[in-house]
Amino acid sequence: MPSFPNVKLASRPLHFIYLCDCSGSMAAQGKMQALNQAIRQSLPGMANVARDNPEARVLVRAVRFADRAHWHISEPTPVEQLVWTDLQAGGVTAMGEALELVAAQLAAPPMEQRALPPVLVLISDGQPTDDFEAGLRKLMRQPWAQKAVRLAIALGHDADLEVLQAFIGPASGAVLPAGEVPGASGEMPRAGRSPRRPLQASNATALAQYIQWASTAVVGAASMPTSRVGSPEIAEGNIPLPDLPPTAIDPMDDIGPVVW
Amino acid sequence: MTWILPEGAWLQFEAFSTPVQVVRGLGSGSQGQVYEVAVQNEALALKWYLPSCIARDPHLERRLAESIRTTAPNQHFLWPIALLHPTADSLPLVRCRPAGFGYLMPLRPAGYVAAVEHIAGRIAFSLGEALRAAFHLAEAFHALHSKGLCYKDISLGNLFLEPGSGRILICDNDNVDVDGRDLGSVLGTPGFMAPEILMRQAKPGADSDLFSLAVLIFRLLTRHDPLKGKLELAIRCLDEPARRRLYGEDPVFIFDPDDARNRPDPELHQAALVTWPLYPSDLQALFLQTFVAGLKAPSRRALTGQWQEVLARSLDRRQLCGVCGQETFGTQPACWHCHTPLAAPPLLHTPHAAVVVSAGNALHAHHFNKRELPALDRPLARIDPHPGDPALLGLRNLSDRAWRAELADGRMLTLDPGRSCNLAGLRRLETHLGSVSLSQPAAAATAGPLRESAP
Repeated sequence: MPSFPNVKLASRPLHFIYLCDCSGSMAAQGKMQALNQAIRQSLPGMANVARDNPEARVLVRAVRFADRAHWHISEPTPVEQLVWTDLQAGGVTAMGEALELVAAQLAAPPMEQRALPPVLVLISDGQPTDDFEAGLRKLMRQPWAQKAVRLAIALGHDADLEVLQAFIGPASGAVLPAGEVPGASGEMPRAGRSPRRPLQASNATALAQYIQWASTAVVGAASMPTSRVGSPEIAEGNIPLPDLPPTAIDPMDDIGPVVW
Repeated sequence: MTWILPEGAWLQFEAFSTPVQVVRGLGSGSQGQVYEVAVQNEALALKWYLPSCIARDPHLERRLAESIRTTAPNQHFLWPIALLHPTADSLPLVRCRPAGFGYLMPLRPAGYVAAVEHIAGRIAFSLGEALRAAFHLAEAFHALHSKGLCYKDISLGNLFLEPGSGRILICDNDNVDVDGRDLGSVLGTPGFMAPEILMRQAKPGADSDLFSLAVLIFRLLTRHDPLKGKLELAIRCLDEPARRRLYGEDPVFIFDPDDARNRPDPELHQAALVTWPLYPSDLQALFLQTFVAGLKAPSRRALTGQWQEVLARSLDRRQLCGVCGQETFGTQPACWHCHTPLAAPPLLHTPHAAVVVSAGNALHAHHFNKRELPALDRPLARIDPHPGDPALLGLRNLSDRAWRAELADGRMLTLDPGRSCNLAGLRRLETHLGSVSLSQPAAAATAGPLRESAP
């Protein structure tokens, strides 16, 4: 049977890192279980997106933070091989340390010489109890962190939207003076849904939709260019982000009832 | 997955008399969701748009309605059949507001797979099948452009391939527009978009389609990106600004004869380096035309008709290695796979072509008549291996007319439709379209075929 020359294809790694809040408050109203479920359920879809993008090698890691921050999955793992071990809630919110852990991994080396923009997803239901600012400064000193697509998901109304916005960077796309930490000026996130603002999930369904969106649509956008429309708005960031998941049933509000 | 249309529901649509049952959700993307539906026991596909997509593209509905009236350019398109707006009764079943609309199209038949499966090397798809798929792609764009239409956003994501035949299907035909009118919002997909579109210096149309077509053909034939060479390796983070440089500001074809800055890397870009030399120089020339002069000058890009002609001619040169059975196209002294030297093959001469005698090669109407556009789907004759002895080749009459064959020993016989004759004994064939003669390579006539390849 005639075939095609079997040659190695060029590809770049795409590092996808979850930063998961595992503080004691995550135990309330099933938030921790909902997050574990949402991530586990999102993996097949994420593997499909990776399959559709042979020029990207999607590698997943996760950091958990409570009293301290630890690598939950320290090895960059091909998504199709990933097995999600449940996170357990308990302790305070060492979010700054979590950012430091990620910062160390985004330094080159260990980062590859060539890669696709990393995707960092920070999920939290509360306020950092350590030096968040210091952690963020360390993170944002890394060129790969500056290039990264940074998303934040706020669980419930106690989440600190200001620090999550600081992690994402300014929502307006305004250029910051040199040396200033993005978001440090204390600007408050504006109303309305945007991937450049913390995504507010007030129940398990909304959380699952956002996790699915981040692990599929965003991974797709970061790994392979998608169709462009000539819209007048100027794209913010170095990767045009896909539309947020449509809010079925009631498009005017958040998805479903407020539980958290 | 949250489906906008509930699975199992029966929906009624305006100006569409038959109810439509949603069978199951097939997939979702940035524009909307696709379902398998049943319409009077016929399985069809239904694409439903997200409100955000409709909002971004105010002329979407008008373009679709026009496409439906125009009908499909040819059989290679999964073309829209009907525009669907829910009736007041069905509106509550649609789980988004505004409910929006969708369109019906044929369901993709089993056996077709996403083109990315070939690019990723996950399906068996030979060089010859890739050439056939490329030919059909050029044929599809020829038919589309001939209708005065343009596609605007072709990429690997809209293309399906049938392994075994090399047939194609093009989906997502909802950006199709009258060329030059620009009733649309789409620009294209970076990597496939012409540089002038990416740089927002022009609107997508038939000329930019020709660029995207060449990229897609290149990727089918080489499994590599024509603009990804050393310049891409110099990029650390491949993000939007970097792609803009690579594909828009300073695009350089990896095989540009006068600009070596973007040559393939011997280690990382093997796919391009291994496959490119396998293709005939007239095919390479069309890529050079499109990716060198045509990069900046849209009017100089290779035309759909040129692609069809040259791709069909490349297939005429298809020769199988006598040892491993791999395909070559007359460019190599030895097989790319097992390195066995290749002998000059016998040829079938028609009034306007010479077709290599090799199992699977075929004679078509365009080989006899210069005015016929090249086409592969209705072969007049095909070279078939003998069922008992694959080394023995015969020519099968696939036409509906009887032909006269003159054998080497001077005998005449009639070759009825569906019958084949042994090529070893054939001298001439009189078909209803013209004569076919067989020539043996001069040097190989006496010596063994494998030892006799020209260095």
